[in-house]
Amino acid sequence: MFRPRLPLLLALAAVVAVLFVGASTVLSAAEKPSATPPPATSVDDIVARHLVAVGGLDKIRAIKTLREQGRITAGADRQALALRERKRPDRTRFELTTQGVTAVFVSNGDKGWKVSPFDNDVAPTPLPEEAVAEAAEQADIEGPLVDWKQKGHKVELVGTETVRGREAYKLKLTLASGGERYELIDATTMLRARTVSTRTVKGRPLEIETTYSDYQKTGGVQFPHRIEVVAHGRPQALLVVLDKIEVNPPIADSRFEMPAGAAKTGAK
Amino acid sequence: MRKLFCFLPLLAALSAPALADEVFLVGGAKFTGRIEQQTDQMVTINIGDGVIGVPTSRVEKIVKGRSPLDEYEDRAKRTKADDLEAWRTLARGAAQHGLSAQSREAYGNVMRMAPDDAEARRALGYVKYDGQWMTEEDSYRARGFVKYEGEWMTPSEAQQAQARFDSEEARRDAELRAAEAEAEAAAAQARADEAEERAREAEDRNRWNNPVYWGGWGYGVNTWPTTSTIHYGW
Repeated sequence: MFRPRLPLLLALAAVVAVLFVGASTVLSAAEKPSATPPPATSVDDIVARHLVAVGGLDKIRAIKTLREQGRITAGADRQALALRERKRPDRTRFELTTQGVTAVFVSNGDKGWKVSPFDNDVAPTPLPEEAVAEAAEQADIEGPLVDWKQKGHKVELVGTETVRGREAYKLKLTLASGGERYELIDATTMLRARTVSTRTVKGRPLEIETTYSDYQKTGGVQFPHRIEVVAHGRPQALLVVLDKIEVNPPIADSRFEMPAGAAKTGAK
Repeated sequence: MRKLFCFLPLLAALSAPALADEVFLVGGAKFTGRIEQQTDQMVTINIGDGVIGVPTSRVEKIVKGRSPLDEYEDRAKRTKADDLEAWRTLARGAAQHGLSAQSREAYGNVMRMAPDDAEARRALGYVKYDGQWMTEEDSYRARGFVKYEGEWMTPSEAQQAQARFDSEEARRDAELRAAEAEAEAAAAQARADEAEERAREAEDRNRWNNPVYWGGWGYGVNTWPTTSTIHYGW
């Protein structure tokens, strides 16, 4: 009969320890599982714990402006630099740069404009409605779960799901605007792990799944630095990797104002 | 439509003067590269993948300085043709600065020296599927996806999309027949509108390669932007 000797057991223990340490370094500090998650009792409980995990309401509410810079990859040989600026209330500016050409897309939550040389715009032109709607969803700096009742949103707990091998609470969010999406909150870290929404693409409904990871703290608030977007039944994926996030940088109001002389029509 | 975008080989860019510039448009869009000509009417800028002419009236300001394109070109000139790692470093740097054409060029050099180099292959658009390097589109095909109106999707998604299209066509045809019955003149107009709409749809289908599906971060473009769509001079 095989009897393991003590040195062999010690060596085995060392290997296990090394593997454990190695595996744990793949996750950022915020994503490392700590203990078994306590069972959530209600939507209010999940949202409250989520907001604490993000950094706390005070820190979240203290964000007046936000600037994020990074890289977007949309498949092999398709890379661009990206900049997104947001400023309360409801203003967003998104810049995409590839091969020395930068296009600008701006929204105040209600209307928007763009200067996109890729669409052969050299003068500001109105942003299409669907892009304004997309921008409006991103304009809420603090996220829809902060003060969701006062904002007129509806949140329901519809169950749990596994996201990247970890349990997540699945919340159905019905926005005051009528839009619907699912927010999946990691049951251990209580950070947002995924959102699932349905968008209309070329007149057809398409389920879009966005997965958030590599959380890091800036200004006391947790931000995902890796965002992966996949569309149901489509092979392409969009990957956003954020290199720099600035909380409350000075951003002039003029960055969001449509310049004089803009075309009244002509949105593409 | 005037489409005079001029693609210049990199060789032309390499032989240009070493100054690099940023041309800011009113509203914040910009071109980074090297100004080749500046007149009262037009600013012509080499972006490293071609030359773009911008009406001076649309330019807010010009900032002169060295650009990543200059850095790349200077280093590329000094790099030995057989220095694989140097080309790899150049390729990575170009990619980080959004210089796709330069990144492709440098990775192309890497791949010539090491045809099976995974990083270079992936950067140049190849995908390893079933142990074989193949183009991204071939890999979609191998995985069972089909192309419908320029968009890769599962066969069932394509069938659903076609069914929606057929239904919409039937509705349009019915409307058209009703219009014809009502008045031939109105029908002629409807046919003209229909033709125009179908032409727009065809143009849209052609543009729809490489769709971008946004999901909460970014917005504004529906298809992956490419400088090849930019018209020279506007």
